[in-house]
Amino acid sequence: MAITDFTIIRRSMTARLFSTVTTIVTVAVSVALMLVLLSMRDAGKTAFERGSGNMHLLVSRDAAPMVAVLNGVFYANAPARSLTWDKYRQIADALPFEWAIPTLQGDSYRGFPVMATVPEFFRDFRVAADTPWTFAHGRAFQASFEVVVGSQAAAATGARVGDTLYLTHGVEPPRQLRAAGSDGAASPHIHTDFKFTVVGILAPTGSSHDRALFTDLTSSWILHAQDKREREHGHEDEADHDHDHDHDHDHDHDAEPLLTAADLTDDDKLLTGVYLRVLTRDGSDASAVLPSVFDTLRRDISITVASPNDQIRRLFGIIGNIDQLFVAMAAVVMISSSIAIMLALYNSMEQRRRQVAVLRVLGASRGRIFGLVVTESALLGLLGAAAGVIAAVLAARAAAWVLKRDLGLVVSPALTLEWVLVVCAATVALAALAGVLPAMIAYRTPVVRSLRPLG
Amino acid sequence: MPDPALSIRALKFRYASSDAAEAAPPWTIDIPTLDLAPGEHLLLTGSSGRGKSTLLYLIAGVLDLSPPSTGEVRVAGRNIHALRGAARDTFRGRSIGMIFQTFHLLPGFSAVENVMAALMFSDIPAREHRTRALSLLDRLGITTPDRDPDRLSVGQQQRVAVARALACRPALVLADEPTASLDPENSAAAVELIQSVCREQNAALLCVSHDPSLPSRFARRASLDELAAPAPAVASGGAA
Repeated sequence: MAITDFTIIRRSMTARLFSTVTTIVTVAVSVALMLVLLSMRDAGKTAFERGSGNMHLLVSRDAAPMVAVLNGVFYANAPARSLTWDKYRQIADALPFEWAIPTLQGDSYRGFPVMATVPEFFRDFRVAADTPWTFAHGRAFQASFEVVVGSQAAAATGARVGDTLYLTHGVEPPRQLRAAGSDGAASPHIHTDFKFTVVGILAPTGSSHDRALFTDLTSSWILHAQDKREREHGHEDEADHDHDHDHDHDHDHDAEPLLTAADLTDDDKLLTGVYLRVLTRDGSDASAVLPSVFDTLRRDISITVASPNDQIRRLFGIIGNIDQLFVAMAAVVMISSSIAIMLALYNSMEQRRRQVAVLRVLGASRGRIFGLVVTESALLGLLGAAAGVIAAVLAARAAAWVLKRDLGLVVSPALTLEWVLVVCAATVALAALAGVLPAMIAYRTPVVRSLRPLG
Repeated sequence: MPDPALSIRALKFRYASSDAAEAAPPWTIDIPTLDLAPGEHLLLTGSSGRGKSTLLYLIAGVLDLSPPSTGEVRVAGRNIHALRGAARDTFRGRSIGMIFQTFHLLPGFSAVENVMAALMFSDIPAREHRTRALSLLDRLGITTPDRDPDRLSVGQQQRVAVARALACRPALVLADEPTASLDPENSAAAVELIQSVCREQNAALLCVSHDPSLPSRFARRASLDELAAPAPAVASGGAA
């Protein structure tokens, strides 16, 4: 096989193997960083959108639509204000909804939020259009005091079908606050009077709901009503105080008989949210009536109406700048890696001066020498980019695995061919540009002086 | 009648002075006329620093003949300094072979690859490069063509350098102190080898050296001072 320009480039690279490898690794790291950030940016948004699934609107009494979505879909906090059952019926009956699922939050189990709802939640609501609820074990709740546990909550608490749970009224504060003994944050009350039986463990959905437990509304209403009665009975002088989920309840259960569903009044039947889906054509998620339904609901100033998809888009619009900052940082790292290529080649030029002079004598033009160095630089960039793509695929998968394990977010870090090509092309172009200075040095190599005998 | 392998006319060269106010220094090279017929061998002698290597680089066109330097250098009938850029480099690669005092073999390339490196700039089809290089190395007694030159003896390294210089069948071979790195025994053998291969290829040989053992091996020899005289004195005698 004949010697070609590529042979010369290859020999030049292998002659400085350590420098070549470290330069390629530097480029690979920067390319991988850029690709992972780009892929995770898109995938992160998609993962957030999974939580709201096929719901069109969310109604609550939170202060703002964004808060409603963060609380009602992502379990950020238990909503502080409640909707009445009558209000729910009024909303559900007045407008053309495919379904309207009432929800009640405010209880927890070992730090994991509990959502009380109706059995239709598992039939009608989906975390994503293509993801119906699937039970890893057991079934959906059908009666009071039955509970279904999300996959992540089940893994963390060790809950199994048949286990008995005692729910906490309110949400337990973070462990460090409890350890500090903050007297301002009284410990929530655990309802040991009401046994809940685990009847189902959900398969992972890759949404925020994996962290939650689900029970029926009546059970939760009984829990809250019992709490309310005991509070009124034990602290009559504190009557009319606002319903506070995190309030301490130091009381005597023996003095108050346990309530049943028959004891519930309309005042006990409170909700914190309503998941809504308007009528759509079969196979379509869009609805022509959605804007008008949304406007109609918004006219009611006693409720907050949120379009989860819009709020998630807004949220990503807000954090988009941070996102761009990360991408800008990755771009800076890419430029730094190009400088590394330039330094590696620049430092090698002194050693290669004689080789360049010999090639000139053998018939290589200055332009060809220039091209050899620029091509070598671009090749370093290309190899680094190729290694970076492989590293990015592995890193993105690892990051997705960690996000799913720790946050329950299903992130599908798809490296789109478009981004891969753009980043690789940019890397090669930057690398070629970085090779211009060393190439100029090679171009200007004084042949006569470089061929003088050593010593 | 074929063009001379080398034809020099009114060549005057000196390195550019860094001090413009300084009086013009004498010419480093001042050769009114010099011709070398195809296949002819000439030994050019002179003390160190006299400008022998400079003359070779001028002939090879790697040193520019820019004002105030003047003159004409023709290799195989082509005025090499009239050629610009890549055209001159290509012409040099195909028409001139150079042998250096310290060989200047390419590091990281085997013996045969060093020879093939010269062929990559020629118009010889690529598929013939390896065969041609191996044949030439075999002719020069290199039995381990795939070995790195660093692992060859000094004598073998020089033979690889000779093979590289002659790989493109040049019209003119320029040898710059080709025996300076060799002991007397190897020197004689090396010059004999260079001359015989040049004869086989009918290549003209211009060898510059201050090795006192060489003049007897060249039928034609001259010093730079002699060439500088209006009527160049060319001594004859000895083996061709």
